[in-house]
Amino acid sequence: MRKHPYLLIFMALLPALLGLALFRVYPIVLALFESLFSTYRGDRLFVGLENYDLLLRDSGFWQSLKVTLWFNLIINPLQIALALLLAIMFVQKVRFIGLFRFLFLIPIGVSLPVAVIIWRIMLLPDGLVNGFLGTLGVEPLRFLTSPDLALYAIIAIATWKGISYWMIFIIGGLQNISPEIHEAARLEGASAWQRLWMITLPLLKPTLLFVLVADVTINFLLFAPVFMLTNGGPRGSTNVLMYEAYKSGFVFGDMGRAMAIVVILVALLLVIVGLQFWLLSGRGKGRAAQ
Amino acid sequence: MKYRTKLTVSALAFAAATAAQAETTLNILMTEGLDKAAMEAVAAEYMATNPDVTIEIQALPWSQFFQVSDLRLRSGDEEVDLIYTDAPVVANYAANGYIVPFEGEIADEAKSTLVDAAIKAGTFEGRLFALPMNSSAQVLYYNADLLEGAGVTPPVGLAPGSTASAEDIAAMATDGRWTWEQLRDAAKAVTVSEGGRTETWGFAFEQFGELYQLQPLGASLGGTLISDDAMSAADHLDGAAWREAAGWWSALFNTDEVSPRALGFGEATQMFLNGQLAMFVGGTWNVPAVADSDINFGIAAHPRFADGTAASPTGSWFLGVHAASPDIEAARDFAAYATLSPEGTETWFANLNQLPTTLELLARIDTDAAYDGFPGNVMRLSAWESRNTAVPRPVTVAYSQLQDAFRTAFVDIANGVDIDEALVTAVDAYDEAARRLNRQ
Repeated sequence: MRKHPYLLIFMALLPALLGLALFRVYPIVLALFESLFSTYRGDRLFVGLENYDLLLRDSGFWQSLKVTLWFNLIINPLQIALALLLAIMFVQKVRFIGLFRFLFLIPIGVSLPVAVIIWRIMLLPDGLVNGFLGTLGVEPLRFLTSPDLALYAIIAIATWKGISYWMIFIIGGLQNISPEIHEAARLEGASAWQRLWMITLPLLKPTLLFVLVADVTINFLLFAPVFMLTNGGPRGSTNVLMYEAYKSGFVFGDMGRAMAIVVILVALLLVIVGLQFWLLSGRGKGRAAQ
Repeated sequence: MKYRTKLTVSALAFAAATAAQAETTLNILMTEGLDKAAMEAVAAEYMATNPDVTIEIQALPWSQFFQVSDLRLRSGDEEVDLIYTDAPVVANYAANGYIVPFEGEIADEAKSTLVDAAIKAGTFEGRLFALPMNSSAQVLYYNADLLEGAGVTPPVGLAPGSTASAEDIAAMATDGRWTWEQLRDAAKAVTVSEGGRTETWGFAFEQFGELYQLQPLGASLGGTLISDDAMSAADHLDGAAWREAAGWWSALFNTDEVSPRALGFGEATQMFLNGQLAMFVGGTWNVPAVADSDINFGIAAHPRFADGTAASPTGSWFLGVHAASPDIEAARDFAAYATLSPEGTETWFANLNQLPTTLELLARIDTDAAYDGFPGNVMRLSAWESRNTAVPRPVTVAYSQLQDAFRTAFVDIANGVDIDEALVTAVDAYDEAARRLNRQ
């Protein structure tokens, strides 16, 4: 009779668990703890839930929350739909697909700060994008300084940078779908559209769930483009919660408020991710069993 | 055995001698660059007369300075005895207990040695917490060729070859000062656009949207930023004076389109030196670069509104003593030497050439014939402004938040956001921060 290799499994998982505890659990617990304190005239005081109470009555926080939710409501479906489209194109066997594949993968090779700087130059009033629009007779647009455009410019940049990465996961999912299923459907007379809706998407669900959860998490915590391009402006239109927390903690030295914002952000993310799991796996399974 | 005893005795003797020579080490945390070199010169002189004190300077790049110094002060780092700081941050450091006040002899000496505005900027809740190293002043730089080419008569100004007595400076600052309305008209006349691109810009501020730079706009019309008790900006930053000032600012970008949006620090000077910008309001630290260029330039007094009074930016760097310093008295003594003594202030002024804050140096700038000619007379104009038109920034523990709210509002206004909306948003942001930081 062989013993179950609990010890071996534990030892194998230990490095990952340690990393998880150190870099994920510890900062969250620390943020929760620190959000209960405030510094007043040099003294660190325990204030209980006062930081949260003040946040709930702070119009700046609500405005920032609104921006964060609107930003995510647009960017996540957009990124996943485009990543899916690219992934489907990527696996096609057509002419020049090699060139397309190369172009699709470029954004992965460029680091986010570099991409942001390049886009900043391209989006200037006398930059490349406006130069191109000018040839079409369009007046120069203030992509990063107009309250109506800045958030969408950031969504565009983050999407350009992000979709190739998510595309790779979806390609993995697509390649896991057995070609025989498609073949059988084709023989039964299913159109390409029907095959996409009735075969590809249902079978991609586990992959899409992962991509959705990971993408939402990354976009809720997005910071660099806002920090580098707009500083939360104009008119607070790009002031997402991560930037609001950064400003509170590191510009104004108000760590209590910053930590309270971070804790609320994490709580919000947990709720949203939980909801996604429930919608895409739990309820989905129930339907499949019927 | 014998050798070991000898060695121990020698080591002890050496240690004792060293201790007798340098018993105290003072660390100054400050910014890199010219200021550091000037501080080294002052420190060398101090050490020559105080052999028991060693002064070490820890310099940080500008971009990290406030964050790192805040962290080190907050953690009670004993390796920081003296902190170099911007005037409006003094209140925050004092309120948080990071720095200790100057009292007794030093405080009395400060009152008799320094100009009032500098004392006021270093004072929090009635106590003097920091001593000023120097002040600053802003002037109007103009390209005479571009203005004349557009049919505009340039303002009365100082240029290479000009001489100006104290009376001439007073007359220039009283009668020859341009108004913001005049400047706007001139900027419109000189701006050249072709095919949607601006080839020559009329005017720019050196520090785009910054409170330090723009506070005189509202102040010229009698506007203040916050209430006397520093608890609220309502009816101040969104009052009639600031609405009018913000309207003038908005027109530069949104109706007249004479000023470039979002210039980084140093970009206005560079554009002026390239001949792409006809006028800019900037610090006197630009004088050497402008004087070295081929531009036919002049330097005039800081403008004012036609219906208002003259108001100009002021304030600069202070020295404070860290509460966690093991040698508070020695640190106070050095701070007093650097900022109040004739030797210390003279060395700092000679090395950095920034507007001084001691009455003695300011009087010399007025009367010494060495300041009649250019560029000395620009310093004389700055000294006049510091005595007559300088508006210090408000003292509040929420200064960082006020500065941020102000910058956000004015950058937004330049980007076309409604003036009322931008100012009311700034007021809300400041009031919220003031409530938080002043809660009992």
